[in-house]
Amino acid sequence: MKKTISLVSVLMMVSGGVAAQSFDDAFNSQRAMYGKGHSFTFEGQTYITDHPEEVAAAVEANADNAAKLLAAAKEQHSQVVALDFGWTLTKGLLKASAKSLADGDFRKSMDTSAQAQYHARMGIAQYHQSQAEWIMAVPQ
Amino acid sequence: MKIIKSLLMGASLAMVASAASVSYAATSGNTLATVDPEADRLALQSYFQKRFPKVQVEDYVNGIYALDAPSREQWQDIEEFPPYEFDIEEGEELFNEAFANGKSYADCFANGGIGIRQNFPRWDEAQGQVVTLELAINQCREANNEKALGWKKGKIAKISAYMAFTSRDNVFDVQIPNDDAKAAYLDGKQSFYTRRGQLNMSCANCHVAGANILIRADLPGPTLGQVTHFPVFRSKWGELGTLQRRYGGCQKNVRGEPQKTQGDKFRNLEFFQTYMSNGLVVNGPGSRK
Repeated sequence: MKKTISLVSVLMMVSGGVAAQSFDDAFNSQRAMYGKGHSFTFEGQTYITDHPEEVAAAVEANADNAAKLLAAAKEQHSQVVALDFGWTLTKGLLKASAKSLADGDFRKSMDTSAQAQYHARMGIAQYHQSQAEWIMAVPQ
Repeated sequence: MKIIKSLLMGASLAMVASAASVSYAATSGNTLATVDPEADRLALQSYFQKRFPKVQVEDYVNGIYALDAPSREQWQDIEEFPPYEFDIEEGEELFNEAFANGKSYADCFANGGIGIRQNFPRWDEAQGQVVTLELAINQCREANNEKALGWKKGKIAKISAYMAFTSRDNVFDVQIPNDDAKAAYLDGKQSFYTRRGQLNMSCANCHVAGANILIRADLPGPTLGQVTHFPVFRSKWGELGTLQRRYGGCQKNVRGEPQKTQGDKFRNLEFFQTYMSNGLVVNGPGSRK
């Protein structure tokens, strides 16, 4: 069975290499390999491996900005909850962000809000992708 | 390291699942007009028969123990002194206990509630929803002015276990009588194959494509026959629990917020999953790791 999984993995990698890479694929692989703050080139343009939430959080750390980011994260979280697609860690991140804000640790609060908002955004994207693709997994 | 291992595990399963989707890509069955429950059931049986040709269909009621010989040996040892034995006895006492108004569960169910597990979950036309056995138990209580029981464990699991025990060897026969029922079935089918949570996994990732493939030290069971042995006494729980308790646990395992126990989504999922096991026998309650 292990051999089967390895074979499948190799085939997936080979087929992935042959197919044209989308921007999302390129971004995700660069992000996975190098983390945030790394620049890469895609179709002649240079990009940074930061998520939009991290870009939004890369502003001055103060009470006003931290409160705004937390509010935005909560708003996005409420959207994914409405879709019934929330992730388990998000509530804890929102709670931690609120605590950091109350403690005056604005940088920590903003970074944690960014992470929570990212989770929520990914949950929403997962919902839409699942709606379109679930049927592909059904044995026929 | 733990997170990396989890992600790698998820990625591996995603690859296996993707491979399965290439081989078995669906061309229909995701709309009310095209969904065909019986075709789905036969296709699922065929899938498992191709993957595990030596396993008889009727043996799938034993879950992973139908596929993995060492696990089966351990399970058979456990079943010599079933850990749910006292729960069945307690369930029988609870089942026969009269309500304050003098009536009992027997007054709410066909055949006095004996030997009927195989007909649940069922589509209830008057209610316009799927009714699971546990929901019917609580509806019976409320109709007789008794407080509803908690859904996941304790008394409800024991009563359900006793009712399953009286139904052992009866063949599951879940019916889909009309389009409303079919819509509920389709909703359950979609839930089963939909990826959720941070690990981006569906029920099918573990219990179709991932059946009998190690996730750390655990071997997920095949979905075929998975409902037949519930409620189960899980060693991890150290007690009896219902199928929907397990659903919630699975969703947490993939780091998704669990859906509501006995809500529409879980009842429809149970409806779909049980229909897939039509033709197999009731063998609950069971014991699992």
